[in-house]
Amino acid sequence: MKPSNTKILIVEDEEILLTALSEELKQAGFQIVGAKDGQEGLDKLRAEKPDLVLLDLVMPRMDGITALKEMKASPDTKDVPVVILTNLSDYDKISDALSLGAMDYLVKANYRLEELVSKLKTVLERKGNG
Amino acid sequence: METTPFIYIFLTLAIYTVIVIVFIWWENRQMRHSLKYKEDEMGRRMYEVSILKELGERIGYSLNVQKIVDVITGSLRKLLPYSTVSYLLWSDEGRLIYHCVLEESVNKNFLEDVKKRIVTAFSALIDREIKNSEVDESVSGTITDESNEATVKSFFNIPVVINNQPVGLLSVSSTEEGLYKEAEMTILYTIMNQASTAVSKLENILSQEKGKLNAMVASMADGVFMVDTRNRLLVINPAALEMLGIKNKQVSIFDVLDALASKLDIRTKIEESIKFNKLIVEENIKIENRVLRVLISPVKDTDQKPLGAVILFHDITKEKAIEKMREDFTSMMVHELRSPLTGIRSIANLLKEDSVKKEQKKYQEFVDLIVTNSASMLDLVNDLLDVAKLEAGKFQVLKKPTNLSAVIDSRVLSYKTLAVDNQIDLQSKIEPGLPQVEADETKIGQVLNNLLSNAIKFAERGKVTVCAFMLPAGMDLVEKVAGLGMVWPGLTPKSVKFDSDAVALAVVDSGIGIPQDQLSKLFNKFTQLEHAAASEKKGTGLGLVISKGIVEAHGGKIGVTSEEGKGSAFYFTLPLKQHG
Repeated sequence: MKPSNTKILIVEDEEILLTALSEELKQAGFQIVGAKDGQEGLDKLRAEKPDLVLLDLVMPRMDGITALKEMKASPDTKDVPVVILTNLSDYDKISDALSLGAMDYLVKANYRLEELVSKLKTVLERKGNG
Repeated sequence: METTPFIYIFLTLAIYTVIVIVFIWWENRQMRHSLKYKEDEMGRRMYEVSILKELGERIGYSLNVQKIVDVITGSLRKLLPYSTVSYLLWSDEGRLIYHCVLEESVNKNFLEDVKKRIVTAFSALIDREIKNSEVDESVSGTITDESNEATVKSFFNIPVVINNQPVGLLSVSSTEEGLYKEAEMTILYTIMNQASTAVSKLENILSQEKGKLNAMVASMADGVFMVDTRNRLLVINPAALEMLGIKNKQVSIFDVLDALASKLDIRTKIEESIKFNKLIVEENIKIENRVLRVLISPVKDTDQKPLGAVILFHDITKEKAIEKMREDFTSMMVHELRSPLTGIRSIANLLKEDSVKKEQKKYQEFVDLIVTNSASMLDLVNDLLDVAKLEAGKFQVLKKPTNLSAVIDSRVLSYKTLAVDNQIDLQSKIEPGLPQVEADETKIGQVLNNLLSNAIKFAERGKVTVCAFMLPAGMDLVEKVAGLGMVWPGLTPKSVKFDSDAVALAVVDSGIGIPQDQLSKLFNKFTQLEHAAASEKKGTGLGLVISKGIVEAHGGKIGVTSEEGKGSAFYFTLPLKQHG
């Protein structure tokens, strides 16, 4: 799957991080859709039908775990791969998310673009093969 | 007949002589007798003194009655002749100890008879039947001899009394008849009595000391219990029972083991502590809602012989809760700082890209993002520094006479634009004739900034009013507010009064309000930052914590009233006369 054919939904409440991630992944060739909280993320997910979701956990209005649960509960959205964005060393939340069906996670604080892109490619390939 | 008078005289003289001789002999005999008696008496006195001395030396402060009786029976032959001496005593385990010392080889029937006599006598003394099965018997001294057919001819008992309670009998018997006179019995009785008195006194002192110790252990906030080397429960205090949730009256070690089952293998820990003679500490033992620290310490007597172990439960629930809050606070703080910093780094990296440099609009957007994010990070760092200063007591306020209405006017003016942008009606209401107050103008301005920015953030197209008024000592806030024709959301007549004349300032909004259970958390730094992270409104939430510090540094009080859906009123007082 080529990046240019791949649409990624980024759900992140921190504006500067959302902007930075969007721009970086656009430059890497992906199509990007952004959302500022879990609720907006679910709306965009249904409207834009992305190939992958990057999901923050701590957010106002609706947090990442709730959004993930709703996503997995709906037949239309349950198969979209999810990569968790986290800034907390909160392993409980990460393992909760993984057990709910998230494919991988990224610690935001020290991420490098190449690492992120290769992670996304791996997840997309796994999805493609599976 | 000249001789007749002579004979008569002679006879008379002879009779006198005989009488005198008899008298002298009698006197002599009496004297010897009395001397013998005095010698015997002296001997008995000597014995009494020596045995008491021996008792003192050999027993010291022992409370062991059996040991005392052993010493007395062991030295008895210095006082009187006997065939057997025996005693019957209560043991610590509530059984009876019967011990018989044979001085002469009597037969078994003799021994049986002696035992029967002493048991019968003791039974009468304590007014209770004694079964053979409750008596532990032992015999020492010489061997029995069945060919000796002598029976018990002389016999007497001396009771052993401790604290007016008969605890045993000492009995002396002989194959010879009429051996024991009152004198011997009296002296043995005296000795026994003196020894008993000494033990009674010691027991009283000990029970007093024990009483003090028990009272101390019972009143301790920590739970304590003690076991002996055979794991028997010796003492357990009310705090320990409460912590372990034990409710029965008769408590055994099994209740304790049950209460700790699956949480702590206390039996093994006790054994380990005694065996290796070391203190064992077990952290984080959770029982119901409590977190306990358990300390197991070996107990030894003065000869370093192990007596058992003492186990102490220290409630560390509060410490753990504070520790948790601290950890949460740190991780939230790190999150608050790291998130924008990561964004700033990524955006700055993107600014190096030629493609971004060429797009003027995007370039500007990115630069703005860096500016606003670094500014909010700086605000957070400043807030954290203020909080740290407050906590370290290094927060300084420079007070001078201040015209509060001027401070309020300038704050209202600076927030006017923001209020208009948010479609909020911002007003001020100052009671006429407000006196000057000793205050730090800048710091009070900072408090008003915090309250105003919160109010505008949460008012959502409503109304925000800053007000200031005199609040005389003892006057109810409700009364004053009503008197000024104002309505504060959630302000009910519950007697909010202050004990000195003060000027009160308040920021009242018609916003979303705050749930009652959240009100007390607003001024706590730990709960504030946590709340801030999950809120869609920006800010650290530390503003109120800092405001509280500033107001308190002025000797004032800060508070809030609120009603959900109606709004909130944040108020603080500045006393007119500084106390202390």
